[in-house]
Formats: sequence, structure tokens, C-alpha cells
Amino acid sequence: MHNVWLIAKREYLEQVKGRAFKLTTIGLPLIFAAIVGIGYLANLGIGANEHLVVASGDAALANAIQERLLVDKNGKSTVDVVAATEAERAAVLEQVRTKDVDGLLWVDTPNDAGPKATYYSPSSGGFITAGRMKDAFNEGLIQEYLTGTGMKPANVDAVVKGIDIDTYQVKKDGKLVASNAMASFWKGYVMAILLSMTTMIYGMNVARSVIQEKTSRIFEVMLAIAKPEDMLAGKLIGVAAVGMTQIAIWLVTGAAIVASPIAAAAMTGNLKIQFSWTEGILFPVYFLLGYLLYSSLFAGLAATCETEQELQMYMPLAAAPTWLSFAMILLIMNDSNSVWAVAASLFPPTAPIVMFLRMASQTPPLWQFALSIGLMIVSIWGVLWFSSRLYRVGILMYGKRATLPEILRWARYS
Amino acid sequence: MPVVELEAVTKAYESKIAVSELSLKVEAGQMFGLLGPNGAGKTSSIRMMMGITIPDSGRILLFDKPFERKSLERVGYLPEERGLYKKMKVVEQLVFFGRLHGLEAGEARKRAKAWAERMEIADSLNKKTEELSKGMQQKIQFIASLLHDPGLIVMDEPFSGLDPVNAVLVEKTLLELKAEGRAIIFSTHRMDQVEKLCDSICLVDHGRAVLAGRVREIKASYERNRVVVEFEGSAEFLNSDEIAEAKNFSGHAEIRLKEHGNAQKLLHEAAAAATIYRFELVEPSLEEIFIQTVGGNGNA
Repeated sequence: MHNVWLIAKREYLEQVKGRAFKLTTIGLPLIFAAIVGIGYLANLGIGANEHLVVASGDAALANAIQERLLVDKNGKSTVDVVAATEAERAAVLEQVRTKDVDGLLWVDTPNDAGPKATYYSPSSGGFITAGRMKDAFNEGLIQEYLTGTGMKPANVDAVVKGIDIDTYQVKKDGKLVASNAMASFWKGYVMAILLSMTTMIYGMNVARSVIQEKTSRIFEVMLAIAKPEDMLAGKLIGVAAVGMTQIAIWLVTGAAIVASPIAAAAMTGNLKIQFSWTEGILFPVYFLLGYLLYSSLFAGLAATCETEQELQMYMPLAAAPTWLSFAMILLIMNDSNSVWAVAASLFPPTAPIVMFLRMASQTPPLWQFALSIGLMIVSIWGVLWFSSRLYRVGILMYGKRATLPEILRWARYS
Repeated sequence: MPVVELEAVTKAYESKIAVSELSLKVEAGQMFGLLGPNGAGKTSSIRMMMGITIPDSGRILLFDKPFERKSLERVGYLPEERGLYKKMKVVEQLVFFGRLHGLEAGEARKRAKAWAERMEIADSLNKKTEELSKGMQQKIQFIASLLHDPGLIVMDEPFSGLDPVNAVLVEKTLLELKAEGRAIIFSTHRMDQVEKLCDSICLVDHGRAVLAGRVREIKASYERNRVVVEFEGSAEFLNSDEIAEAKNFSGHAEIRLKEHGNAQKLLHEAAAAATIYRFELVEPSLEEIFIQTVGGNGNA
């Protein structure tokens, strides 16, 4: 145990002091935030502050469309209504050509057929503004017809805009908790991504470290001092501690940001996301179990390889369960207690991610957590057994790539 | 009491037999050379001594007991290729290896500094290993194998990558360790070093011991059919019928006599042709014995 501790400590300190750890600890959340932030800001700006023109023989319809475009807060557009004459049409189209006007919606209202709309713009790809025009046209049309039947303006508005439904989750103890399916979906999705990303990153770190030690012949020295099982255990524990340190930094920073007044103001209403204690405890547990399962497998495979490029060949196979987990996302979010969802949350390679996706909509029963964790521990033991055999033979094999029959033979005779 | 003993040890990899029925014994205070051409089985034998691989048959004894990992705490090992963590500082690396061998951190640090002074690399203790030359790294590996004061020192090519000055420093250190009563076994291709340092050798070829024993006795067992001549004048005598092969280095000739060649007759012929300053019948060198024994196929 003394050697396991020393090897784990060395691995931990080397990685934590390394440039890659500092860069990823600070850089990854920044990149993540930048991607989300830039996307959000870009969306805010797209199709905003435009000068639009509506022309229709039906003045009431033109006004209704203008009203709909003006109430769109994201648009912040200037909307003019002009008479639907050929002279006006030619004049406005000239303004579209010179980009003094960003778009013209021309509505024909023939007596013998329904209205027909045409949209003119200087760009062929302005689908957001075109979509906004289409919505305004349809809503304006409905508004005009319903107002014509004598419906009250408030009811017309409700029909046109639709009504938001307040949703509540009834907890097991009978408590009613305000819920938001979309927010829950994103919470589960982000946590599952974080879980799969960290598991893969640290699993790869273990594999890379095994290959580096193999190519630098450190194994030769180490094997004369320590048992291969101790070396593998020390490496897995050391890298796991690095991962836990990084996740702890992210969580503490994240918690500090979430607790700040700015975040509190931003995360209300539809964006309000609640984290439970169960999620807080189970996240590190599933990270550790997922990490141990994948990294012990990667360590064994890495010992059979000569270079990182060779190792990359195994990665799609090893990462397949992660893809499978995400492929099931809609099925799980729609019915987190379906047979497939439960089975995938108990199947060790997919359990960490699927369990978190399930927890996002409803906390599964305790026995399912216990069974999934139990099955994972048994699988980890099995994979460790197999990998430690590959490891002790593979690390001394230089110069040629191991074939599958060789790998199976190593597992048998070592 | 033998410190390390191999009894009819055999090891095969897939279809290749790396070591076959190899037996050898190294006593305390003895320097032992494990020789052989490339691929002869030297490294495979050393790896089995260190428990890195397990023999298919035969027995390995360390400190007079069948091999057990616990005994490795008293063994210092220097592998053929450097195995150091490149990003670690030298002193941290030495403390890490010392601690793996059971030393306390403070003691390991103290010994690392003392050894660094002795091996003339004290200035490099706080540098990262990757910043050092190959020779310097070899000295660090050398120290790492000795930090825990081992009773048995096993070194695979300890002089590789060292310049002549550092090679002499390592030779001197090994002799001091031997004088302290430690058993030392090393493999090398440098026959001059074996002649200078080793008490006994084992020459391995195709996994088998083809020649083993004390260096003195092995050399004495070969016929004295080598002649060294230092002369001035005509080198015509080098065409004598008594000579099988001769190398002339401007006044210094190394001669191998024919089987039953007459050295006295050659001396007369040489004296008639030139002024002779030295005429000496000598034993064959280890290098000659090596080449002769492995059939001239060795790469040494």
C-alpha cells in the first residue's frame, strides 16, 4: 500500500503542476462559457434593428402585421406600411436593392382566393427575418379574422400567442415543486456531458501516461521495485485525484457564480434550475465509478500499444457506450422509467450518464441506484483483473503491436 | 554465501528461447561480468533476476533464498535503457525512487545530495531530467539504483552513454562498492572494462552459457600464442612461417602464432631483421576469446 500511495502521489503532483492541468481547469469553463455566450449574443442580434416594409391591399391586415412585428421584443425593427400599388412596389424594391430597406412583405388579397404573401430581401439567407415575417403575417391574418367575428381583443391575443402552462412536479412526499421540462432537460444534458467528458479525458490521461512510461522505459525500473498491480492502482488513484481536484474547482467556482446576485437575477423563471443533494453526492460517485471502469480498460489497452496513435484506434470502441447513452436521450427524458431507460441505467458502461439523464426528470428508486452502483463495482473488478494482466505483460513488449489472440493469451497466462 | 544464484534457468518468448539452462553464481564482494553478443539473452537473464519476468523453469536465489519480491529491497538495478521521469526534478526523482525502496523522505534527500556530490552532478539536482545530457541522466539512473544501499547491484550496460571521464568515475565507484563487500553483476560490450573490473564472467550465446569462470583462470587456460613485439628496423620478420596473423602499428606488432608455431625461432628472425626492444608472449585478450568463442558472429 505504501508504494501505491507513493505512485499515486507522484502521478497527482506531476499532473496538477503541469501546464495542461492549469490550462484545462481555467480554459475549459471559459471556452464553454464563451461558446454559450457568443451564441446567445449572436442570437440576440440576428434580425434585430431592421427597417421593414409591409404592403397590402387590405389596410387592416397590413396594420395587424405591423402590430405583430412591433410587439416582437427581439426584433426592435422599424416597420412601415405602404399602399399596395405597383409604383410603391417598384420604389420599395429599389430601396431593398440599395439596402435602405431590409425587407418588403407584399400581401395580395384577391377576392376569389385566400391571401398570398411574398417576401423580398437583399439576402438569400435571412431566414430569421423571413420566419419572423411569416409568423407576423399568419398571426396578423388570424387577428384580423377573429376581430372581424367580434371576439374580444384579449381573447384574440390569447389565441394568437398561445398560453403558457405552469408545470409542477408532484414529489413522493406530496410536495408540489415548480418544474420546467426544458430546464430539467438542459440540466441533465449538461451534467451528463460533464460526466462523459471528464471520464473520457481522465481515462485518456491514464492511457497516455501508461504509453509514456512504456516508451520511456520507466516500467523497467519500476517493475524491479513495485508490483504491476501496485503501479496500476497508484496510477488510477493519482489520476482520479487529479480529476476530482479539477471537478471540485469547477463546482466551487460554479457555485460561487450561481450564488452571485447577477446569476440569481438571470436564473429565474424559465431558466430556474434546482440541484438536489442526491445529485450533489451522486455526481462524484458516478464520476469515480465511470472513470475507474473506463480508465482501467484504457490502461490495459494502452499497455498493448506502442504509440498514442495506435491507442486512438481503440477509442471509438471504448467510447461507444457514451454515444449509445446520448442516442437514448429523448427516450429517457420523455419517460425516465421506461424499460430501456432503466436497463441502460443499470448497464455499467452506460450507467453513469443514463442515470443522470433519468435523475434530471425524476429521481429513480433507491434500489436502482444501489443495483447500478453494485453492478459497476463488480464490472470494475472484472475489468481491473483483465487489464492488470494485459498491463504486466504488455508494458514489457516493445517493438510490435499486440494482436487480439495475443492479448487474450496474455490474459490467460500472466 | 552466494548473493545471487541462477540454477538451470530457462525462458522462452513465443517461439524463441531467450535463455536456456543458464546457471551462474555471484558472491559478496565479487564483480561479475555477463557477456555476450546482442540478443544472446543477457537482458532476459537480468530481468529474471529482478523478478520483472518469471523463468519458465529453473530457480533463482537471492541472498541464499528462493526469489521473493521482499529481497528486491536489497537489490539495486540499472536497466539497459534510461527509465526516468523527464518532467521531474532530479532530486525529487531520486527521493521518489529512494522512498519506493523503503527510505524515509528526509534520509532519501540526504543520500541523494551525498551521491550527487560523489558523482559530480550536485549542480543538476534542481534541474528537470529532460534538461540534462544522456550521460548525466545515466549518472542519475546510476545513483537511483544505489541510494538504498543495496547488497546486490545489477547493472545492464552501465557504461552506455558515458564519456571516458565519467566512465572512469563509474568504474572507480563500482570498485569502491565492491571493496565494501557488495556483489556486482553487470553486462557490457566493453571487454577492456571487463578485464579491468571483473573477477568472474559468464559468456552467453544463444541463451546458453558458453564460457564461465574466473577471468584469470579463463585466460590462463588459453594457449600463449600471442606475441607483442616492439622494434625498430625492417618488418620483414612479420612474413615468417611461424606467424598465422600479424598487425603492424609502426614499430609495435601484435602477432598470433600458428598452431605449434615456434616463438624462439621467430625471435631469432626478428632480431636478425630489426632492433628488438620488447618481445613478449602474452595471453589472448578477453576480446579475442569472446570473438573466438562466439564464432566471430558477436557484435561487440
